[in-house]
Amino acid sequence: MQALVRAFRRSIDPAALIVFACTGVLLAVGSVYSANFLSAGYLLQQLQVAAFLGLIASGAMLVILLGHIDLSIPWVVTVGGMMSTALAGWAPDWAWAAIPFGMLCGAAFGLVNGLGVAVLRLPSMIFTLGTNAVAQGLMVLHTGGFAPQDHATPAMHGLAVGRSLLGIPNALLVWIAVGAAMAFLLTRTTLGRYVYAIGNRERAAYLSGVATGRVIVAAFAISGALAALAGILLAGYSTKAYQAMGDAYLLPAIAAVVLGGTNILGGRGRYAGTVAGVVLITVLQSILSVMQMPEAWRQVIYGAVIIVMLLVYGRGARSAG
Amino acid sequence: MAIPPPLLEMAGIAKRYGGVQALTDAAITCHAGRIHAVLGENGAGKSTLIKIMAGTVQPDGGEIRLEGTARRFAGPADAARAGIGCIFQELSLMPDLSVADNISIADPPRRFGLIDGPAQRRRAEAALARLGIDDIHPLTPVGDLPLSRRQIVEIAKALARNPRVLILDEATSALTAADVDRVYGLLARLKAEGLAIVYISHRMNEIRQLADDCTVFRNGRSVASFANGSRSDDEVVEMMIGREYRHMFPERPARTVPPAPVLSVESLGWTDRLRGISLTVGRGEIVGLGGLDGQGQREFLLALFGVLAGMTGRIAIDGRPVMAGSPRAAKGRGIGMALIPEDRKTEGLMLPMSVRDNLTIAALPALAHAGIVDRAAEDEAIEAMVRLLQIRAGDLDATVAALSGGNQQKVVIAKWLLTRPRLILLNDPTRGIDVGTKQEIYRLLRGLADEGAAILFYSTDYDELIGCCDRVAVFNEGTIGRVLAREQLSEHALVAAALDIAGAAA
Repeated sequence: MQALVRAFRRSIDPAALIVFACTGVLLAVGSVYSANFLSAGYLLQQLQVAAFLGLIASGAMLVILLGHIDLSIPWVVTVGGMMSTALAGWAPDWAWAAIPFGMLCGAAFGLVNGLGVAVLRLPSMIFTLGTNAVAQGLMVLHTGGFAPQDHATPAMHGLAVGRSLLGIPNALLVWIAVGAAMAFLLTRTTLGRYVYAIGNRERAAYLSGVATGRVIVAAFAISGALAALAGILLAGYSTKAYQAMGDAYLLPAIAAVVLGGTNILGGRGRYAGTVAGVVLITVLQSILSVMQMPEAWRQVIYGAVIIVMLLVYGRGARSAG
Repeated sequence: MAIPPPLLEMAGIAKRYGGVQALTDAAITCHAGRIHAVLGENGAGKSTLIKIMAGTVQPDGGEIRLEGTARRFAGPADAARAGIGCIFQELSLMPDLSVADNISIADPPRRFGLIDGPAQRRRAEAALARLGIDDIHPLTPVGDLPLSRRQIVEIAKALARNPRVLILDEATSALTAADVDRVYGLLARLKAEGLAIVYISHRMNEIRQLADDCTVFRNGRSVASFANGSRSDDEVVEMMIGREYRHMFPERPARTVPPAPVLSVESLGWTDRLRGISLTVGRGEIVGLGGLDGQGQREFLLALFGVLAGMTGRIAIDGRPVMAGSPRAAKGRGIGMALIPEDRKTEGLMLPMSVRDNLTIAALPALAHAGIVDRAAEDEAIEAMVRLLQIRAGDLDATVAALSGGNQQKVVIAKWLLTRPRLILLNDPTRGIDVGTKQEIYRLLRGLADEGAAILFYSTDYDELIGCCDRVAVFNEGTIGRVLAREQLSEHALVAAALDIAGAAA
């Protein structure tokens, strides 16, 4: 009986419930405007769009749980898109390797981030900002300053826009797979436990014999690889990779993680919350654009909703703790 | 002769935190010019009482009278204005600010609306001089000072506001012997000046020496008040723990031949803090590290545990040379070391995490297959440890921060016992822990030694070193000055060796 109670408490996540409830309210309000908002087609389409953000947020969450932050996301997304399409352009025989190659490039940037933070002990906020700039420079050099003609491979395109299995978008399936792996990693593996331990008190974790450096490097590498994977899917979605394709994803990714109840200072948060945060932000963006709100107002509302959510959640967490 | 009214009187105080009744009908009466000791185990309600006195917590019921007038403090600032100064167990200093900044933090001297630096520095110098401290520069950042010096600054800070009632909550627990003497002298002076002093300490000898009156707390009630010296130590301890008090320290096994060494250290050095240290610890032995605070004992333990880079010398475990490069290597197969660190709140525990997660963090590799945690094995290990150490935690999934100090320390120890260490390093493990738990820890250590573990035990409490250890290595300026055998252990010998007074062993 006690084990049951514990299992139940482990599985529910108040933050995720709050955020999902808010999403429901948003959709209900939207449905007053247009009944479309509650149609299965619309919701599936939103989840497909959410998948890109979801992949990025998964990696960002891992790094935030450590008490760090990955600001190199925008251009690592671009690296993923450009390097995978570039490989397909350079060596058409190797087109099958485009996706792993792109992820590998992203992981390499993550590795550099991790080494800078774990070994050189530089603040992640500055160091990852630096790698972001380096990635940007390298991509500009790579294209010679203009958009390359390298097109997405059919595999990338199919993964991003295709549908299989009861009409579920492939991109969503990718997110489900990555999300399940991430939830497993966080709750059931030693690596996940160490991530929380380091986020709460790195010193105590180190003195408990945790290889803190390796854990930090691994987390940043995973974040880089997932950002690159999102870039690959984005390139597939728009059939080609282009400069600054990841710029619109940094704030939403961090906002989704924090809205989902992950402590921005590290150590606390569950993956279900991040899923909820990603869905909420995607739906919010969609509703604001469907309502043909002027861009300026959209930004105001978008920002205000994030702040209000943080307030609501912050209060709730404090009274619960 | 008319007795002056008590300076501070509290009666019928009650306080409830959620489902926990922290205080019920608590009473205490403090007179000007007297030192009043408050005794009790951790969780007995002492801290709550102090917090109510200092205005940081509002009581649910009861009466506080200051010089006969009923008062109610809206907050700490209100209590401070009424003349109540408090030195908390948890340090309240900002590490990046200077000593002078910290001392005047609540009310800095101002000129033209800006902080007057020179005046602030003079104030700090005066406050430190009043304590008789001349080796702390007022402009040093507090973070650069060792823990014992920080505590001195904390006391100076409280005194700078000229309180009439001064509360010291475990204020000497981190002090070196020399500083403790200074504080004693100061308290005697303040007493003569007519301050009422409320003194909380777990060290019986301190209380015996200092206090005029004592009040014992147990389970949130004040169980007895009496003049110091009118009850025996055993009686007092019995009042505190509410059961019969037997021998504090467990029996040591008689030994005829020296045990086989588990750890042998040869001419270990690290920068200029550790020089030429040689020591062996045998199977089943508890070797104490003594000496004044900050003579390299902590560095020695950290060096063994692989935390410090750039060591010289040789370390051998079971005769095989090893040099751990990190705690991970030190706990690993072939070495089997464990370190119970100095500060359980920042080094021993991840406070916001659950009791369960804290318990298994060190032994996790052994409880996992291919990086996946075996939950059944984990539950079993946790249950075994909670039973073995009698960890009193209502809910193992609740944060470890909610436990009392003694139970937190048990979690730190349990975490390491799960790794089945052969060599256990303890860095002042009983600091700020109640008598009952201390006793449990002593028994546990002796039990582990009897099962074959080798134990290195650093303590700032001489009674503990005398009662618990088979031998004590006394540190002096980064070297081992003298090793005292069990028969030679006495407070006198330890102090003499610590101060390096010749002929002390005689």
